[in-house]
Amino acid sequence: MNSVKHFNVLIIGAGPAGVGAAVALTKRGIKSIAIIERSDKIGGIPSFYKKKKGGVRTFVRWSRGGIPVFGEDYAQWLEKQLIKTKVQIELQSQVLNIDAKKKILTLVSPEEGEVNYSADAIVMACGSREETPAERGWIAGSRPVRVFYTKQLLRLLDGNHLLPMNNPLIIGSDVIGYAAAAKLKAAGASEAVIVDNCSRPKCSFFERLYFRIWSNPDYQGLSAKSIEVTGIKTASGVNLNGKNIPCDGIVICGELIPNSELALNGDIKVELHSRKPVVAKDYQLSEPGWFAAGNILGGFHGAEWCYFNGQRVARAVANYLS
Amino acid sequence: MSVSGKLFYHWMDKDFDESLKFIDTEQLGDIPYDVTIIGAGVVGCALAYKLSMYKLRVLLLDKNYDVGEATSKGNSAIVHTGFDAAVGTLESELVTKASREWPQLAKKLKIPYEECGALLIAINNEQNTQLDKVYEKALKNGVTDVQQLSAEQVLELEPQITKNVLRGILIPRESIADPFSTSIAYAEIALSNGVDILFGIEVIGIENVDGKVKSLITNCGKKFDTRIIVNVAGLGSRKLADLYGGEPFDINPRRGQFLIFDKFSRSAIDHILLPIPTANTKGVLVIPTIFGNLIAGPTAEDFIIDDNTVSDTTVERLQELLDGASKLYPGLYEQSVITTFSGVRCNCSQGSYWIRCNDGHQGIITVSGIRSTGFTSSPALAEYLIGELHEKLGLNLNVNPVAIDSRSESSWPGWWKRPYSNNELVKESPEYGRVVCYCEQISLGEIIQHLDSPLKPRTLDAIKRRTRAQMGRCQGFDCMVNVAEIISNYCNIPLNKITKRGPGSEIISTNAEQYQ
Ligand SMILES: Cc1cc2nc3c(=O)[nH]c(=O)nc-3n(C[C@H](O)[C@H](O)[C@H](O)COP(=O)(O)OP(=O)(O)OC[C@H]3O[C@@H](n4cnc5c(N)ncnc54)[C@H](O)[C@@H]3O)c2cc1C
Ligand SMILES: Cc1cc2nc3c(=O)[nH]c(=O)nc-3n(C[C@H](O)[C@H](O)[C@H](O)COP(=O)(O)OP(=O)(O)OC[C@H]3O[C@@H](n4cnc5c(N)ncnc54)[C@H](O)[C@@H]3O)c2cc1C
Repeated sequence: MNSVKHFNVLIIGAGPAGVGAAVALTKRGIKSIAIIERSDKIGGIPSFYKKKKGGVRTFVRWSRGGIPVFGEDYAQWLEKQLIKTKVQIELQSQVLNIDAKKKILTLVSPEEGEVNYSADAIVMACGSREETPAERGWIAGSRPVRVFYTKQLLRLLDGNHLLPMNNPLIIGSDVIGYAAAAKLKAAGASEAVIVDNCSRPKCSFFERLYFRIWSNPDYQGLSAKSIEVTGIKTASGVNLNGKNIPCDGIVICGELIPNSELALNGDIKVELHSRKPVVAKDYQLSEPGWFAAGNILGGFHGAEWCYFNGQRVARAVANYLS
Repeated sequence: MSVSGKLFYHWMDKDFDESLKFIDTEQLGDIPYDVTIIGAGVVGCALAYKLSMYKLRVLLLDKNYDVGEATSKGNSAIVHTGFDAAVGTLESELVTKASREWPQLAKKLKIPYEECGALLIAINNEQNTQLDKVYEKALKNGVTDVQQLSAEQVLELEPQITKNVLRGILIPRESIADPFSTSIAYAEIALSNGVDILFGIEVIGIENVDGKVKSLITNCGKKFDTRIIVNVAGLGSRKLADLYGGEPFDINPRRGQFLIFDKFSRSAIDHILLPIPTANTKGVLVIPTIFGNLIAGPTAEDFIIDDNTVSDTTVERLQELLDGASKLYPGLYEQSVITTFSGVRCNCSQGSYWIRCNDGHQGIITVSGIRSTGFTSSPALAEYLIGELHEKLGLNLNVNPVAIDSRSESSWPGWWKRPYSNNELVKESPEYGRVVCYCEQISLGEIIQHLDSPLKPRTLDAIKRRTRAQMGRCQGFDCMVNVAEIISNYCNIPLNKITKRGPGSEIISTNAEQYQ
């Protein structure tokens, strides 16, 4: 293993929260900062929502009067802000482990292999993912192909221009589910059916009204205890409330769960089922010098909220360092 | 490893047949095979491996698009000692024998294997009285290294388990291993020793069953001539036996569902936790996996043979599993279940290890009912079958002096050896430093290495079982499409033709339009 490189602040994750933190820390005069990102681009989740003609804008710039934008545009804006700073950017670098007491990160990248970075303070801006069917606890049945998570749908639809299904069924009724229904419809699929285990959709009335521009999905709430996915080789439907709703593909949407495994592995306190890191005042985690920003905190937050949250966390980090 | 057997995938899709065929069926020639093994589960693969040590022309074929796609991929992955097998049965004999062979076998085959030991735990008076019987049975089965433990001793070994424990038995050699690598390793070595392997080939008829050379009619159009037919088709063995009119038997598929817990759970438990077995099943177990998770299961639910919901999971049964497993380790309620799966046991009404030589006709052997221990017994069962083939079916055995019985060092799975920690390797091949599967920390280099491996896996599930990409807590949220893109780019297959487990399981609906 190579020797340890030391920084004032290390940021894990170059999504909206991580970039927000990097930009604000620079403004506060902190000199040596590195941001570590495992994917090959800056911007986190928004970067997967590509700009498309006739496509659906799913991100909102509240600071600009609430205009809807494409995720990709927002990600590019983030990249511009980050490049302006002197922050060292490490792409394709995955943080594998942490040593919470010594404030050391072990990461791996194609250029350097496995290396250790240490810092006076560390910001975890690792974002979140969607819960698996097992984590949700009310989805069972068969395990065919074409049961996607939203991120997979984005990679196919926006990243590869492939429409994976004609008759979509969406499990999960928050804004991510309604956004997915709109995106699929805009791409040529038929109107989606959205199912969830509650009587009314979780997505707010105004958000649903916005997505009406593209689609008007049929919402079906679950009254039974569970649903079963059907289909041997490919998804063919779900059994819901005693009847089979046919489809040729399923998207499992929303219900975000924090990417807090590094913290949990490193004995930083994390709530077990919700996976929310335990946060004291000023976004400090249970080990001194460790902070969390953005969607890793738990719940659903829009990209811009995460960006500003990253800036607030930066203020707390600066206070901690001085 | 130099490959001397031929590999054929019957990909059915005309558009890109070429990239996956590897060879044309015509290249297989018309010389009759000495032995054709139908079914590339762990049993068929083990048999191919052991037969490849002899100078024989052997064919191994399966209707699926990888080895071990049926029962062999959905089990508890325990290498049993046979301590609780029915005394005096063939199953008991083969399991106890194989269990002693496994440590060496795992080293040869480069299969991750760990002798973690098992604890049989009595938590009520009824179970407590059963315990002595189990102990005696173990001794009768020749498993003499079992130890009786007091409650204190049990809790010393496993402090996190239920405080209701009354007494226990330690079975030190009960082990865990990688069930996927096992079938793969057997088949890779067999291939390299000259066994031909065909995937996507279903036997749909047999001609000249009474002749010395029989002819297998398959779904690819080509007929394969063979002197001996070995039916190790698991759940499919019944239908296959109908094709040649073997002695009647019944299969009642018995489903086992499992919960897989996140790796954070693993630090709590070191041993396999066993409840006291009942007449029908071993009950709900808590099992550490070689991959670093805990699993709980299995259920035992009987089905009729053609029920297509047989491998589903159900919310109620999974909840029962959680409740049952928590009786042994109450801390399970705190842990997250990342995914669930089920496996289907080939449960034969006529009894386990239902083996018939010259079944209906000379030269045909039926092997069915390898219900709950086939993963463990595979090396010993294969040797037993070779004995039967020699004695009862007249197979001549001449040792092949150039045959190998091991895989190379580089065959250890990456998740076991962590190639990214080898800075020399990363410097030489930076793709080993490029992590693709974030949760299991699997690199691009490992995926490419497996695409190049002897069986040329091309499906998402085949890559998943080899590398563990998509098997972590996010279940492919981050990496599924990346893996599909890597297969697509590296093997020149259009992305929309990438499948989960062969034709008919494309990730893109075939009639969905390209979208700009
Ligand atoms: C599937 C999905 C769809 C969404 N859709 C919308 C939408 O349409 N509109 C909307 O407003 N919001 C949406 N959101 C919410 C979105 O997450 C937030 O808007 C915002 O992107 C969160 O910012 P973040 O910086 O906290 O996390 P992210 O954007 O998730 O960024 C976290 C970054 O950290 C990196 N990272 C994590 N762990 C490591 C590690 N160990 N090593 C190195 N790098 C690491 C990740 O690669 C990622 O780039 C969606 C969220 C998800 C999960
Ligand atoms: C829930 C559960 C838990 C278990 N736990 C353990 C354990 O801990 N330890 C242990 O040792 N064992 C365990 N087992 C048992 C073990 O998994 C099996 O005994 C073993 O996998 C059987 O292997 P097989 O090769 O006989 O069958 P299979 O793996 O089913 O292989 C049969 C093959 O034949 C193919 N086939 C079928 N019909 C045709 C046809 N007509 N033409 C061509 N190909 C065909 C199929 O595609 C399949 O690949 C467990 C089983 C289950 C279900």
